[in-house]
Formats: sequence, structure tokens, C-alpha cells
Amino acid sequence: MSLIRQLWLAIVIISIIAFGGSFTVSMLTARHYVAQQLQRQSIDTANSLALSMSQQSKDPVTVELQVAALFDGGHYQSIVVTDPFGKTMVDRIQTRSDTSSVPAWFVNLLPIESLPGRAQVTDGWKQFGLVTVISHNRFAYQALWDGLIDLAGWFLLAALGAGLVGTLLIRNIRRPLEAVVGQAHAIGERRFITIDEPRTPELRSAVRAMNDMVARLRQMFADESARLEALRHKVNHDEVTGLSNRDYFMAHFREILQGEEFGQTGSLVLVRLVDINALNQRLGHMRADALLKDLGTVLYASGEGRIGQRAGRTKGAEFAVVCPSFQSATEAATDLYERLQQDFMPKWAPEVPDLFHLGAVLYRRGQKPGEALARADQALAAAQSKGLNSWHAIGEGEALASVPAEQWRTLLTEAVGAGLVKIAFFPVVSGARQVLHQESVIRLQPAGQGALLSAGDFMPMAARLNLTAPLDLGVIKLALKHLETATGDVAVNLSAETISDWGFRNELRALIKDHPGQSKRLWIEVAEYGVFRQFDAFRELCKMLKALGCKVGIEYFGQRFAEGQKLADLGLDYIKVHPTYVRGIAQNSGNQEFLKGLCNVAHALGIVVIALGVESEGDLPLLTSLGFDGMTGPGVK
Amino acid sequence: MNFRVTPRAIVALAVLCVWLIQQAAGVNFDLIQQTAVKRFGAPAGNAMRDWQGALNESKSLAEMEKLRFINAYVNGRVTFVDDKTAWGADDYWATPLESMGRAVGDCEDYAIAKYFSLKYLGVPVAKLRMTYVRARIGGPASTITQAHMVLAYYSSPDAEPLIMDNLISEMRPASRRSDLAPVFSFNTEGVWMTGGQPPPAGGSSGLTRWQDLLTRMKAEGFDT
Repeated sequence: MSLIRQLWLAIVIISIIAFGGSFTVSMLTARHYVAQQLQRQSIDTANSLALSMSQQSKDPVTVELQVAALFDGGHYQSIVVTDPFGKTMVDRIQTRSDTSSVPAWFVNLLPIESLPGRAQVTDGWKQFGLVTVISHNRFAYQALWDGLIDLAGWFLLAALGAGLVGTLLIRNIRRPLEAVVGQAHAIGERRFITIDEPRTPELRSAVRAMNDMVARLRQMFADESARLEALRHKVNHDEVTGLSNRDYFMAHFREILQGEEFGQTGSLVLVRLVDINALNQRLGHMRADALLKDLGTVLYASGEGRIGQRAGRTKGAEFAVVCPSFQSATEAATDLYERLQQDFMPKWAPEVPDLFHLGAVLYRRGQKPGEALARADQALAAAQSKGLNSWHAIGEGEALASVPAEQWRTLLTEAVGAGLVKIAFFPVVSGARQVLHQESVIRLQPAGQGALLSAGDFMPMAARLNLTAPLDLGVIKLALKHLETATGDVAVNLSAETISDWGFRNELRALIKDHPGQSKRLWIEVAEYGVFRQFDAFRELCKMLKALGCKVGIEYFGQRFAEGQKLADLGLDYIKVHPTYVRGIAQNSGNQEFLKGLCNVAHALGIVVIALGVESEGDLPLLTSLGFDGMTGPGVK
Repeated sequence: MNFRVTPRAIVALAVLCVWLIQQAAGVNFDLIQQTAVKRFGAPAGNAMRDWQGALNESKSLAEMEKLRFINAYVNGRVTFVDDKTAWGADDYWATPLESMGRAVGDCEDYAIAKYFSLKYLGVPVAKLRMTYVRARIGGPASTITQAHMVLAYYSSPDAEPLIMDNLISEMRPASRRSDLAPVFSFNTEGVWMTGGQPPPAGGSSGLTRWQDLLTRMKAEGFDT
């Protein structure tokens, strides 16, 4: 029985005992009082009758009249006069049936004995007889019954008052108690939350202990996160400029070319300083570093607000920027060149007139990274030939990008209803090659055209047209349908744009509620940048999905690691680590250390860690030894 | 084993016996005596002891002798003083302890002391009546009357009673007390006709003064 119910029961029982007890006592007291009054009346009447008879003539008629006069007043059960030897001389006994409103059960429950009053009658010095008077108890019952009704009314009122006070009391206890229980549940679900300390001392110490524990855990997590973040930054970034180093940049670029996160085409921009040795000589080492840092800052800033855009220092004097959101090399080159003209050249051009050249090319998905870089080199060479601080771009947007937005809108709007949306599955396996779940990826079959479109081909457009919600719901529907017949679990990713959409969330809840048998095998994930862009919305989504029994995770995890401690109170089930860290892991001891630490922290919070973008089977044992629970990617079949 | 009878043990045994006897008799003379000494000093204690002696001596007498003896004893011990002087109250019913202990009392105090003495000696209370009477003072021709109380003894329910009071020391039949006119009578036993039934709670009598007296006597050690 719950504590609250026990408290209620205690209040009810105590009230009943208190009321019942005082009720009984007051009834018994009243009965005793009434019985005494009855007897007093009998005695008084007996005395005065005896006194008056003693003074009067003793002829039988007078005696009888005296008795009758008193008796006919109606207050007596009986009046009897006996002679000194006990023989009855006159008697009057009430034979009328009881007409009062007192119920019989009450009379039986509280019998009132009407005791006789007796007094001697004398005739001169001689004894004449004895008067015995018994008062009628009908009036006593009536008084007692009226008192009972009155008392019951008051007790009912008092009981209502006690109930009211009890309700308030219980509510007072209940609120902090529920908060404590809620916190305990949350911790059980790996959501490490703190709550306000309640005023009740017993609960306060419990809450304080749990809060302390949570605070310590959070601190540990924050410390470890900070250490890992420092490590991650050191391993993957150039010391001077703070941009990605060559390995990290290339891993990211390769992911863009091979993965499904971004569109089919994008731009790659190379910026090369003209002569770094000459710069060092002319400006000195310190100032040359400052120049590099300035350049890095401008290139880094160009990626702000553009998903997937990343700048890296690929060689000593060469910088690369990959821009998935530019489907025209010229546009990408112009954007960057204008930024450099505005924020970089004014400071350094007066001293160093011949600063840099810029080349840009369009890349296509599936291209080899080296091939794209070689073409960018050609563009750079063309720029050099144009003179001081010049730029050159090769390649314009092609067929897909030229499809007008309105046509896309029609296609995407009709896609779900027309059954054009499909899902493809990729296995996620453990170190022991057991399938943890199937990762589902959205595909679109455009009407009339042969080739299936992958997510990167149309999801950016869907996001721009605000059409991700129906597509996401379509995928969830397909996944649930698949689960109805298939064994094992399925993971589905939701678009960053969708998670803050109320209507979508309600439909999602209804949809999953309709499939109670499947919800426990459904894993739902959101990309990291989407999570941090709308953190509160994600928190709500987490709560809702976990209540429905789904598993919730974050994919492409690891780029925003500094904010990672926010995740401690979400109760996440899993994270999928960004492929950038996973590619080429065998050669990158720095990232190995980083990922090992990441796995440790995640495991401390009970979170399953999965590696994305695994390129070869050969990496599986290493990743397992680093602590990964699951792996997926082109190398995992 | 050597069993020695010490004087202390004998005293203890004696006290125990006395206590047991008193319990059986229903009157705690020790308590009465202590109360008397405490309230009125040592002479009152002696008066109590004397009274106890007198009662014990007369236990074996015939009923008529008991009446005569007690009437004389009480009349001899108690001096008539009106309530105002004795107790500072207009009408005060004193307990036997108070009347005998202070050796003062008025008419009803005599009657009360006689009533309870006779009751102690085993005279059935059914034969005894406290009786309010109108008394003519100052000879047969006098017209002065006053309220008075006497104790009447009925040898049988229809017999002429014997009257005990403090106006004359002699116990006489009612017919020889032309100075007294009875008004009302009562005693402690309102239930003797049905027999054996104890007086009900709330008092055997509606006369609260009587009731008050019985309560005070109980506190002093009498079994009323």
C-alpha cells in the first residue's frame, strides 16, 4: 500500500476512533444523567405525595384521588401505595403503548432503567403505608434521541472538517514526497536531475543525499568531458589556427562524399598563401602566426549557420573549406573571397601585397577525395595565373540542383501518400557480430525516374520547404510496419527541423501508441546539431518517447562535445559517434584515446555507444577494445 | 530452625486481627478516631474510643435494652447547642463523629447518633424512623411550637412507636408524648419491602441533606 494511502487510512481510522469514542462516552453520560433525573423526579414525587397524604384524611377515596391526580399528569409509569405489610392499596400503572418517535433499536441499544422513588406515609404516629413512584422513561428516551440526532449532526460537521484538514495535510506531504519519488525514478532512468529540498526534515535529508550524488556525478562527467574535449581539440585541430587538421578535415570530407547526410553536390574551396617562407622572413615568426590565425578565423566564421561546412589546414600554407550547401563553385568562391576581402586583406595587404590565391570546384557524391582535391589544385593554378590575390572556380550546378523548388514541393508533398518513400536497412553489429538493430535510411523513388534518391538528395530541400514532418512520419510508419513482421530492432532518425513541431510530436505519439507491441523495439535518434539547436524541444521529445517505451539516442555525436554535460539529465539510451572520428581510427592514436574516454563516460551514464562510418571489418576489434558497443558503416555487412 | 516470636510480630498480628474484625463490622473505628483527633483534638479521640467501648459492651443486650442504653448514652454525652452556635449554620446535620467528638448537637444530631449506633448494634433499620415532628414547648397549655426531630422505633409495622429524643431523657411510647405531632418520617432503607436490594445509585433518598450526611459519614469511616 502506498504511503499516501496509509496516511489516509490512519486519518480515517483515528477520526472514527475519536468520534466514535466521544460519541459513545457522551451518549452514556447523557443516559446516566437522564436516568438520574428520572429517579430524582420519582423520589421527589414520592416524598411530596407521602408528605401530603400523611397530612390528609386516609379514607380510600382521598388516597385514590391523590394518586390519580398525580398519575394523570402523564409523567409516571406507575404510582403504587402499599400498606406496612406490603399489600397493595392503590395502584396506577401506565398501559398506553409508546407513541414517541424514538425507534425501537435505540431503546434496545441504550436501555434506561427508571428506578423507583419511595416514601413513607404515616397516620399520626402509626405507619400508614409506602408510596412507590416510577417515572415514565418515554421522555428520557425522547430527550436522549434528540440529543443523539444533534450530536450526530455536529460530529458529521466535525468529520467533514477533519477530512478537509486531512486533505490539506496529505497534500502538503504528498507534493515533496512525489518530487522525491520522481527524482528516484529519474535517476533510475539515468536522468540525473536535482530537485528543491523539501521542508520536511526526513525527506530533506534524502533529497539532499540524492542531490549531492547527482551533483558529484555531474561534476565528474563535466570534468571528464572537459578533459576529453581538450584532447579531442588537440588531436583534431591545428595548433596555430584552431582549424581542423589535415586528418580531421579529410575524414570529414570523405564522410560528405560517401555518407548520406549531405547533398549529391557541393563545393570545395582551396586557399593557398603565396609564399609562407617569405612571410616568415618578412614578418617574423610571431607575426606570421598571427596572420595565419587571422586567416583561420575568417575561414572558420564562413561556416557559421551552414550545416556541414568545415575549414581545415591541409598543408602548411594551404587551407581547404568544404561547403555542402553551395551547389555552385562560383558562389562558394565569391562568398569566401568577399569575406577575405573584408576581414583579412585590409589588415595584411599593405604589408604583404601578394597574399593568397583561391580556387573552387564542384564535387559530386562518390568522388574520391583526392580527385576533388586535384581538381581544386587546377582551379588554384588558374587563379595564380590571374595575378595578385585572385580566385577561380570550375564547374557549375548540374541537373539535380536545377530542378525548380515548386517541382520539389509537389514531389515531396505527394511522396508519402503515393508510396514513393522507402526505407533501406543497414545493420548495426556488436563486437561479437550480433545485430543490435537495423538502421533505417529514407529513400525516395521519384515517379518516372529510375534511380532512388538518398536522404542527402532531397532532405535539405525538404527542410527548406518545411516538409520534413510528413516524411519523418512516413518513415516511422514504414519502420513500425516492418517491425510487425520482422524480428529485431529498428532505428529511425528524425530531422532536426521536425523535433520542435508540436503537431508532429502529437501525431508521432498517437502513431507509436497504436503500436504498443512494436514501440519497445523502436530506436529513435536525432542528429547532434538538431539536438543542440532546440535542446528543450529535444528534452520534451525524449520524455515523451521514453514514456512510450522507445529508445532515444543522438546520432553524429561528438562535434559539440563541450556541451555534452547537458545530456546527463536526458536519460539517453544511446549515442552514435560521428564518422569523422571513426574513419582511419587505426592510424589515429589521439582519436583512439578520445573515443576510449568518450565510451567510458557514456557507459558511466548507462549509454550505449555506437560507431558510425566504419570503413573496414578490420577496425571492429579495435573499436570494440575502445569500448564501442556497436558498429555500422560501409565496412559492416 | 529457630523461630522467635518477637513483640513486634505480636503487635503486627494484633493490628491485623483488629483490622479484620473492623472490616467485618463495617465500621472503621481507627479511621474515625484519627479523623476525630485531627479535627477536634485529643478529647474527641477519647470520646470516640469511649463510644466504641460502649457500643461493643452493649452488643449482647436485648433489643429493648439496646434502645434504652443508647438513648441514655447519647443524651448523656451530647449537650444541646443550636446549629448556629455549634456550626455557624442555620441547619446543620452533624455526623455521629461530629456530635460525639465535640459533645454538642441539636435535636436531629441526637437522632442521627442514636440511629447509627442502633444500626451498628444490629437493630433492623426497618424498625427505625427519623421523624419530623412539631413539638409544643413549655407544658400542655403552651401554644409555643417548634420544629423538632426524633427517632421512632416500631417493634412491628403496625405497632405504636417508642420515641427517643433529647427533650426528655426517658424513652416513651408515642401515646405518652402528647407534646409531639408527627409530620413526616424516613430512614436509610427505602427498599426493605422488596428486600435485599441495595440502595440505587444516586442515593437511597431524595432528601439531599440526608444524602450529604451519609456521604460525609462514609468518608469518616462509617458503613452507612
